[in-house]
Amino acid sequence: MNVVLSRAARMVRALGMLAALALGSGLALAQEPIRIGVFQPLTGPFTKNGVEHWEAMQIARDMINERGGINGRKIEYVLADVPSPAAAISETERVITKEKVKITTGSGLSPLAIAVSQAAERHGAFHWETVGAAEVITRRGFKYTFQVGGASRLYSQAALDFALDELSRRLKIAPNDLRIALLWENRALGKSVGDGIRIHAADRGVKLVYDEGYDQFLTDMTPIVQKLKDVNPDVLITIGYPNDVILFQRKAKELNFYVKALIGVSGGYSNPELRDSIGNSVYGLFVSEFPPRVNPKALKPEALEAANEFFRRYEAKMKRPPAGHASASFSALWGLYTEIFPKAKTFEPSELREIALSLDLPMGSLPNGSGIKFTNHDWAPDKKDFGQNLRAAIGIWQWQKDGNNEVFPKELATHEPVLVPLPPWSQR
Amino acid sequence: MDTLAQLVLSGILVGSIYALMSVGLTLIFGVLRIVNFAHGEFLMLGMYGAWAMSRFAGVNPYVGLLLVVPAMFLFGMLVYKLIVTPGLDKPHLVIVFATMGLSIMLQNLALMIMSADLFDVPPMFGGRSLGIGPLYVKTELLIGFCIALGVTFAMRWIVKTTYLGKAIRATVQDREAASLMGIPVHRIFLITFASGSALVGLAACVMLPVFSVFPTVGLNFVLIAFVIVVLGGMGSIEGALLGGICIGVVQSMSSYYFAPAYGQLFFFILFMLVLVFRPAGLMGQKGTANLGMNP
Amino acid sequence: MSTIVKARYSSPGGASLARMPKSGTLSYFEIALLAACVGVLVLGIPESFMDVVLLSFLWGGLALAWNIAGGYAGMISFGHAAFFGVGAYTSTILSVDAGLSPWIGMWLGAILAALVGGVLSLVCARLRGPFFILSTLATAEVIRICALNWASLTGGPEGLAIPPVASLASMVFDSKQTYALLMLGYLVLMYVFTKVLEASRYGFYMFAVRDDEDAAGAAGINALFVRTAAMALSAFLTAIGGSLFAQYFLYLDPTHVFSLELSFQFALLPALGGLGTAIGPVLGAFAITPLSELLRSYLGDSVAGLHLVIYGGVVIVVMLYFPGGMAAALNRLAARKGGKGK
Repeated sequence: MNVVLSRAARMVRALGMLAALALGSGLALAQEPIRIGVFQPLTGPFTKNGVEHWEAMQIARDMINERGGINGRKIEYVLADVPSPAAAISETERVITKEKVKITTGSGLSPLAIAVSQAAERHGAFHWETVGAAEVITRRGFKYTFQVGGASRLYSQAALDFALDELSRRLKIAPNDLRIALLWENRALGKSVGDGIRIHAADRGVKLVYDEGYDQFLTDMTPIVQKLKDVNPDVLITIGYPNDVILFQRKAKELNFYVKALIGVSGGYSNPELRDSIGNSVYGLFVSEFPPRVNPKALKPEALEAANEFFRRYEAKMKRPPAGHASASFSALWGLYTEIFPKAKTFEPSELREIALSLDLPMGSLPNGSGIKFTNHDWAPDKKDFGQNLRAAIGIWQWQKDGNNEVFPKELATHEPVLVPLPPWSQR
Repeated sequence: MDTLAQLVLSGILVGSIYALMSVGLTLIFGVLRIVNFAHGEFLMLGMYGAWAMSRFAGVNPYVGLLLVVPAMFLFGMLVYKLIVTPGLDKPHLVIVFATMGLSIMLQNLALMIMSADLFDVPPMFGGRSLGIGPLYVKTELLIGFCIALGVTFAMRWIVKTTYLGKAIRATVQDREAASLMGIPVHRIFLITFASGSALVGLAACVMLPVFSVFPTVGLNFVLIAFVIVVLGGMGSIEGALLGGICIGVVQSMSSYYFAPAYGQLFFFILFMLVLVFRPAGLMGQKGTANLGMNP
Repeated sequence: MSTIVKARYSSPGGASLARMPKSGTLSYFEIALLAACVGVLVLGIPESFMDVVLLSFLWGGLALAWNIAGGYAGMISFGHAAFFGVGAYTSTILSVDAGLSPWIGMWLGAILAALVGGVLSLVCARLRGPFFILSTLATAEVIRICALNWASLTGGPEGLAIPPVASLASMVFDSKQTYALLMLGYLVLMYVFTKVLEASRYGFYMFAVRDDEDAAGAAGINALFVRTAAMALSAFLTAIGGSLFAQYFLYLDPTHVFSLELSFQFALLPALGGLGTAIGPVLGAFAITPLSELLRSYLGDSVAGLHLVIYGGVVIVVMLYFPGGMAAALNRLAARKGGKGK
């Protein structure tokens, strides 16, 4: 007699096969990693930055992959070295066309960010710019570039607001009487932040007593320091890269140029090795940029947990706490991996774009205190603007003996400012 | 008035250090008639050497130079043997490019081995300066100035009185005749090139207390060095000193009275003016420029 | 025909790698190379390689442009980035600010560059050798600093971006192949121009002035005119290349466009390929461009800087041991083969 499966048994068998098929194909899909092109300067003059960003980005990937990835899919990076804007364009083109990635991130610095996002846009790739701050990044009529880290305008505003609101109070000088000097290095960051400060100063009705740019190759700071001495400001806001920042600080000490407070904007003033070069006189300096670490009360629990984990891992690897911009890279990617990717199905740029535009996360949602809300041709000052994150956290931190501590704005601050006014050189 | 005096003083001091860095270049230019585009990287190597002495042997650069200078001399000999000698009988462009290639190699070797970090030596005099009336003088700069003067006079003495100096001068004037007179021209070249390298090493030790070292530090200074060499006159050591001081003061004054953003514009313009109106430089022999490469 | 390129070296210790070119017909090698270029375009290669290909074409044209002043007239320049940048910025500024098509703007940029080149040449008329080289360097630096600071015109250090909106009138294309065609057109035109120049009377004057200026003067050649015209021509053609570059990269930044590294590249390619020949610059560009792009792609992310160490080393070795460049090496190869064949 033939064994004929009962109807029920046949159903079970069919279901079983279907389940196996689904599981199998699901597994097959699940194995395929999500590939992201990562562009950082690992050679050339910006290697320091690039290496820090790369470490932070790897930690983001590792943390997500250890949690099982995105719906079972692991994140995989395709790394390319972009020492200069021309190299950035070539490398971005190469990685996108050869490796067939449709999602890119980077780029360590504004000039590189401009180039990478340009090349990405040409191929319709989704570019998640973590730190590049140049205003022009979001004003080019692009559709797939998102500037997560905040525009340079925010750095300028934070610096000036801190001076006018906090420092004036502590120095007991009325904001209108506060003598503010602006010294900027003539490169993309310096110029755009300088422009921002000038504009914001005008908005707040404040006149700068000094406003000069200097060439990046300047080897002798004497004329600049001398002029500043002649002008005698209360507060100096300055932007430069590590080499000239060190030269300036040394010359200031040498010529005994005294200022009650100094606010450096990113660049050289946030360089962790600044202390090695100028010693204890680094304490007391303020820096306007991404917060390295924010007040835990400002963060959502998941974000706080991620931030702490990031700090643990970064310090273990690099033997020192992360600089603000490294935290920002981690934070931005964390946002991408926890807020956008889980909602994605096809991971096509158009889909990711829609998800990104739909996000409305308040400040404190990301590990470094930022939220996410991108402009979409709906920003009052400039309708052309697209992809700028209006909720990027930019504040002031200060070099203090126990670490680089956030001091402004109040919501993000973990410490109070100290050494206001700065003691004279002989005591620093 | 104080301001002006401070500017001029600083300009002179920094300029003398620029001059010290350029002396090696002008010597090589003057005698071998070759352009060493890796000059900035020789400086970088010297600075790393001085830094290493400070970091690992605990000696400050002024003591460290006792080792760095001879090391750079040997390095110069090596480069001469490997790169200059094969290129001497070829068009000068060959050496220009070969030294450019060397420059790229050295910059990136430094990047690979030392990383892109900036390195300094701890300040020796507490970072304070000497006060001369209302003016400030950084001690390290003053030392540099004295060494630059010392080197200039020493070189002058060597060139004028010693046999080596005479041999060098003869080679400069007429290679073939010198050779016919029994002067080992190639050995003179070797010694000159290596000495030029050693002088750069000396400059590096003087510069490290003032400037940080990193792989591309040479780029900041190599153009200045070329300008000084031309300004002062190819082959003229006193010219290099004078040229350096000139450049230091021009930069200082233009950055103050005009705009620091224009940085090196003024001395490039000065450079062009010198090239056009007196290409032999302040102290060079008239007509040198017209000879170009042909000795 | 067994020689690819005729070359004759002057005596050791002498001034230059003089060469009297053979005028007239194209050699088989040149035809083969042209066919290969066109073939690569037409057959369609993976898009990722298209980038390297079109850059090689562009650099070939730029190398030929430099060669007119440097190789033929003996005016070695390390400041050609000045002309390149002037061309790139002029056509871009006119396009972005005034809506003028780059097809027209690039000629204006070229004329401006030619003026700069001509003036430089006149002003530095008496300078030779390293003095002349340094004067070109200083010129490029002066222009760089001005471009960097004249932010209202050039965008300053933040640079200038061209909107990536494809259209023929604005010389922006979606397809890499179209760009490659454009660059190949530039290369072919430059090559043809160079060959014509070589065979012309003016070309003859250039070689004469390069090889022995006094003798040339004695023979009635106006050296000043020849040199000035050579520089102006070289500048003009380099500027065109600069405009094409701008239209491809769509982003200009003074620090890189006027950089010494770029100037050096303009001179290095012809030197490696063979100065004073027409095919030399092309060979140099075709060999080095893919090499440096590939080195950076494959080694760039492993050990920072290693790819440039290798590049530097290659430069040293080739310059010292193969001074006639690749063209001379190929010649020797062909001569030996030809000899064997007999």
